[in-house]
Amino acid sequence: MGATEQIFESLKELPEGSVIALEANSEAYFDVIRVITEKIPKHKNLDVIYINSTLPANSIINVMELLDIKRDNIYFVDCGSSVLLTQQASNGHIIFVESATMLENIMLKVEYLMRKMDKKKGKLIFIDSINSLAIHNSLSILSEFMHILFNNMRSKGAYTVVLSIKEQSSDEMSKALTMVCDEKIDVKEEW
Amino acid sequence: MPEEKQEKVFSLPKKGQRNRCKTGIDTLDAILNGGIPRGNTVLITGSCGTGKTTTSLEFLVHGALYGENCLFLSVTEASEKLLANLIPYEFFDDSLLKRGKLMFIDMPAIYERLGLQKSEFSFEEIDLLVDALGDIVKELKIKRLVIDSVTSVCFQLKTEEKIRDFILKLGKKLSDLGCTSLLVSEILPSDARYSTYGVEEAIADGIILMGNYERRGDLLRTLQVVKMRGTTHSRAKYVLDLTPIGVLLVPMLKGGGE
Ligand SMILES: Nc1ncnc2c1ncn2[C@@H]1O[C@H](COP(=O)(O)OP(=O)(O)OP(=O)(O)O)[C@@H](O)[C@H]1O
Ligand SMILES: [Mg+2]
Repeated sequence: MGATEQIFESLKELPEGSVIALEANSEAYFDVIRVITEKIPKHKNLDVIYINSTLPANSIINVMELLDIKRDNIYFVDCGSSVLLTQQASNGHIIFVESATMLENIMLKVEYLMRKMDKKKGKLIFIDSINSLAIHNSLSILSEFMHILFNNMRSKGAYTVVLSIKEQSSDEMSKALTMVCDEKIDVKEEW
Repeated sequence: MPEEKQEKVFSLPKKGQRNRCKTGIDTLDAILNGGIPRGNTVLITGSCGTGKTTTSLEFLVHGALYGENCLFLSVTEASEKLLANLIPYEFFDDSLLKRGKLMFIDMPAIYERLGLQKSEFSFEEIDLLVDALGDIVKELKIKRLVIDSVTSVCFQLKTEEKIRDFILKLGKKLSDLGCTSLLVSEILPSDARYSTYGVEEAIADGIILMGNYERRGDLLRTLQVVKMRGTTHSRAKYVLDLTPIGVLLVPMLKGGGE
C-alpha cells in the first residue's frame, strides 16, 4: 500500500472532533495534500480550513492544480506569504496572516471562517506544518496555541489534522503533539 | 408584552443571579458568564483606535435585534458617519432604524435644547442634563445606551466633584430605568488608570479595557474585563479582531507575554 492509501485508511473512519498528528517524511508531502484536500473531504463531505506556513497558499494551489484537485471547498489561512512584498489582498478563499508569530491571529481567522462557511457541512482544519510554525514560535507558546485551538475545534465537532515533517521535528515536538492530539499516525514510506 | 415581563424579572431577581444583558458578542458573553448584569453602567475604556466605538455599536445592534430599544448618544462624531460604519456589517438590518429600535442622537443637540452653552457646567446644569437624559431613556423605553464619549462630556464638567456627581446621578437614574449603559472613555496609552479623571472608574459598575499590545513588532488589539459588579468573570486578556461579522475574541497566549 502506498502512502496515500495508508493516510486515507487511517483517517477515514475517525469520529467527529478527532485531533490527529500526521508524522511524515517530506517525500510523502504530496500524498498528504492529496488525502487532506481531496480524498477525506470527498469521503466525509467536508470543507477544509488549510493553515499554511510552509509554502504560500498560491504555491499550494499550484500543487493542487498539478494533482488535478478541485479547490472550491478549501479555505486558506495563509501565514506563508509575505503580504507586504506581494501586495495580495485577502479574498473569499485566502485570508492572509501578516506574520506566523501572530498565533492569536491564526485562531481569529479560523474562527472567522468557521462562522462564515456553510454551517451544514463538516469542517477539517489542517496545519501545514507545525514545524514551520516552530521556526517563529517557542514550543511552549505553540503547545498553548494547539491546546486552545484544538479544544475549540473539538467542541465544534470539526476534524483537526496537524502535519509534522519528520526531518524537521524533534523529540520535544513529538512529545508536545502526544499531549494535544488524540492519536498520532506515523506515515511509513513503504507500507 | 415581553417588555413588561422583563421589568418583572428585573425587579425580582433570583438570588445571586441577576438578569443579563447579552452583548451578542459570544466570547464576551462567555467571559461575563452570560452578559452584563442588567442596569450596570460600564466604562469601555482605551486609547484611540482600539475599537471602543465599533464594539459599543455592535452591542446596540445586537440589542436591537433582540427587540430592545437602543440609543447611541454621540458627542464627537456625527451620526451619519457612525451609520456608514454599520452598513458593512452582515448582521446589520436597516429596518432597525426605520422601526426605531436603534436610535442616534447627537449630544450637542441636547445641550442646545437645554440652553447649555457655557464651557463649564454648573451643578444645576448637571442635574438638568441628567434629568434630560433620563427623560429620553424613559420616553423612548431605551434598554441599552451608549455615550461616546463620556470623556468629552467630562471636559465640560472640569472638576472631580462635578464628574463624580454627574456619573453617580446618571448611573443611578439609568439603573432605576433598567437601562444597561456603556460609557466610552478615552485614555492615553501611557495612562496608569482607566479613565482620564480617575473618578469615572471608581463609580462605574464595570470596566472593559481595550488596548494595543505590541509583541515582537506585531501590534494586537486586546480586550480585558477589569471589573463587573453583579457577576463573576474572567479577568484574562483577549485578542480582538474587528470583522464584517463583528468583534471576534480569542484568549491571548500566555507564553507570548513580553
Ligand atoms: N469591521 C471592521 N473591519 C476592520 N477594521 C475595522 C472595522 N471596524 C473598524 N475598524 C477599524 O478599527 C479602528 C478603530 O475603530 P474604532 O473607531 O471603533 O476605535 P475607537 O477606540 O472608538 O477609536 P477612537 O478613540 O478614535 O474613537 C478604525 O481605525 C477602523 O479602521
Ligand atoms: Mg471612537
